[in-house]
Amino acid sequence: MDLVDIIAEKRFLGQEFVTWLWFKSEERGGAVDIPGIGDVMVVFEKHILLEYGDGDSREKVICQGLQAEMSEARTGLRMGKKLEQARIMLGRGEYEWNLTLRASMFDFKSVKTPKTMATSEESDDPAAVEGRILEKISLYEQALHLVDEMFRMFLNSRLSDDWENELLRLRKWIKDK
Amino acid sequence: MGLLSNSGSFVRFSVEGDMPASFWEFAAERIAMHAFRDIDDSFEEHSIGWVSVMNMFDSEFAYASYAAGDYIALTMRIDERKVAPAVLKKFCMKEEERLKKERQVPKLSRGQRLEIKENMTLMLTKKAVPVPATYDMCWNLGDNTVLFFSTSGKAQASLEDLFKKTFDLHLVLQVPFLAAGRLIDPALEERLAELNPTILI
Repeated sequence: MDLVDIIAEKRFLGQEFVTWLWFKSEERGGAVDIPGIGDVMVVFEKHILLEYGDGDSREKVICQGLQAEMSEARTGLRMGKKLEQARIMLGRGEYEWNLTLRASMFDFKSVKTPKTMATSEESDDPAAVEGRILEKISLYEQALHLVDEMFRMFLNSRLSDDWENELLRLRKWIKDK
Repeated sequence: MGLLSNSGSFVRFSVEGDMPASFWEFAAERIAMHAFRDIDDSFEEHSIGWVSVMNMFDSEFAYASYAAGDYIALTMRIDERKVAPAVLKKFCMKEEERLKKERQVPKLSRGQRLEIKENMTLMLTKKAVPVPATYDMCWNLGDNTVLFFSTSGKAQASLEDLFKKTFDLHLVLQVPFLAAGRLIDPALEERLAELNPTILI
């Protein structure tokens, strides 16, 4: 299958993952227990984009508000709309990332990494520059690693015989919201 | 919104293909070959190439400044002479009016108007100042992935092209289905391939 077909036919996979992640984070009060890593804070905040329809007739709805007020987005899920984009806060130890994840393509937008030394305090000699690049890359890759590990968790559940049970819990969560 | 800014937007690619044994030597040679060339003093319409992530005017890469640990960090720079459609339209209309008066005809043929448009495009493009755009990328040589700091499809296509020309390697955008293939147990691959959407309500 070439990339164009994969994007068209398999866009549901990322959307199901992000919906599952919202459910998973709320199931335990904002924390997801990742095997081998432990509890990671996952908070859906401020911005959610839902879509419905297919192909050319696809329409989008943007829901914005504080975390507790995402009621429009919750209602949208109950109506069968798909979660296409969400602003998510990830927290591990002292570090905190904010990112907007576009579900169908895995675009990572406006990723804010944890604060480290201010740029003005750093020198421009080659070693310092290399250090700065490596530090920044490491911060981006740590966020990606957390998303990868949560995606792996989802896939292991989604591709297992136990998915039916997880799906029942997920449907109940959507219904009760 | 690049690699070193406070807030970055990116997508991930996997790098497909075999890397040469003496990779760093190969990389140095190829990056130099495809470094950005300035077109400010020429009439070229378009130029694309690599510059340093710290400075878009540095395409010399003293001390292999693109190398950072086990990563290659580079900026793709594209300079393009563009003519605003409204400007082009204005000059075409002006020239059409001039010719109509000169030849004392009420209307120009389609062929004549197309020729005017072509000439005006050429003349205005030569006068236009190249507009620069820069996009950072970071290649993790350990797991052969590239983070590219733009979510624009057009910029991504330009990167795939420049990367292929520079390193003879293909980039494959890691959309969820392809990312999944790298994360799951190989025994589950068949299940993944056959997966259909779930009804969540």
